[in-house]
Amino acid sequence: MAAGPYNYSYIFKYIIIGDMGVGKSCLLHQFTEKKFMADCPHTIGVEFGTRIIEVSGQKIKLQIWDTAGQERFRAVTRSYYRGAAGALMVYDITRRSTYNHLSSWLTDARNLTNPNTVIFLIGNKCDLEAQRDVTYEEAKQFADENGLLFLEASAKTGENVEEAFLDTARKIYQNIQDGSLDLNAAESGVQHKPSSPRGTQLSNDQPANKEGCAC
Amino acid sequence: MEEVINDIVDPEDLKKFEKKYNKELVAGHITTNTQFEYAWALTRSKYGNDIKKGVGLLEELFQQGDEQTQRDYLYYLSIANFRLKDYEKALKYCRAILHVEPRNHQAMEMEKLIKEKMAKEGLLGMAIVGGVAAVALGGIAALGFAVSKGKS
Repeated sequence: MAAGPYNYSYIFKYIIIGDMGVGKSCLLHQFTEKKFMADCPHTIGVEFGTRIIEVSGQKIKLQIWDTAGQERFRAVTRSYYRGAAGALMVYDITRRSTYNHLSSWLTDARNLTNPNTVIFLIGNKCDLEAQRDVTYEEAKQFADENGLLFLEASAKTGENVEEAFLDTARKIYQNIQDGSLDLNAAESGVQHKPSSPRGTQLSNDQPANKEGCAC
Repeated sequence: MEEVINDIVDPEDLKKFEKKYNKELVAGHITTNTQFEYAWALTRSKYGNDIKKGVGLLEELFQQGDEQTQRDYLYYLSIANFRLKDYEKALKYCRAILHVEPRNHQAMEMEKLIKEKMAKEGLLGMAIVGGVAAVALGGIAALGFAVSKGKS
């Protein structure tokens, strides 16, 4: 995982959540490797992926925690929500139950992240139109009612995958620009200008090395 | 992968899972989930003794698990042993997963990382011999082998 030169000005932490088998890891893989991973086994606990993107001329490093969807991991994966700037909440458009469970995922996301965390709803597997079990319109309405960004995407074809990850970053960046996201607040999920080259670690118990602390 | 290994548990989380575990311990019945959650938190501790305790709990869980959950326990046993710098054991557990799921990319990434680490420390020769022995056994037997030999 060679991250190359550390020439980015921000680090955003993301989490990917949703039921088992909706394609969370495949979305991550498509985004970081630009490849579709067929026959992907169930994720064990959490996986991590990273990619540097550009928003408004700023290089941003995304640190993405992909969580296992299986119920037995739920308690452990919850600890990764903390300090996420973006949450990608995924369901499978061909399996209605995964859509019905969204309110439970949303409750977790709201309770365990900060109020400014950008939540993006992704209806995955939109290449499987013939097996569709959730209409675009109802999901869009759910997203609107809950203030979520929304797209249907396909980890298989890559459709809208870039858009979902990038739109989330744009929204976070916008929140920084207009001041609604306070970078000095604990758990904003955003780090500005990493001061050390080992900037890839975003551990839960960050030491008090907050430069520019206004005290 | 390194990020997953280097990730440290929030002390509050560790306390929470420990409390839940101890409560069930006192009540005389520990559920698999509680034990797993506590073990998982322990293996992400920054203290070696916590990690070792987590390994013990995972080994117990392994003995009672089905094939799917055994895979999970092996993965965390591999990570925990890596964190304890016992790379040979880490590799053995990791290969046991790959024996059952050859295309498991989490295990593949883990194996690569362990090998890099071992190559750096000049330990790779020994481990390859151990790996061949594990592969000679079939399927889940290889998993059992990995853990039963894990204590030697």
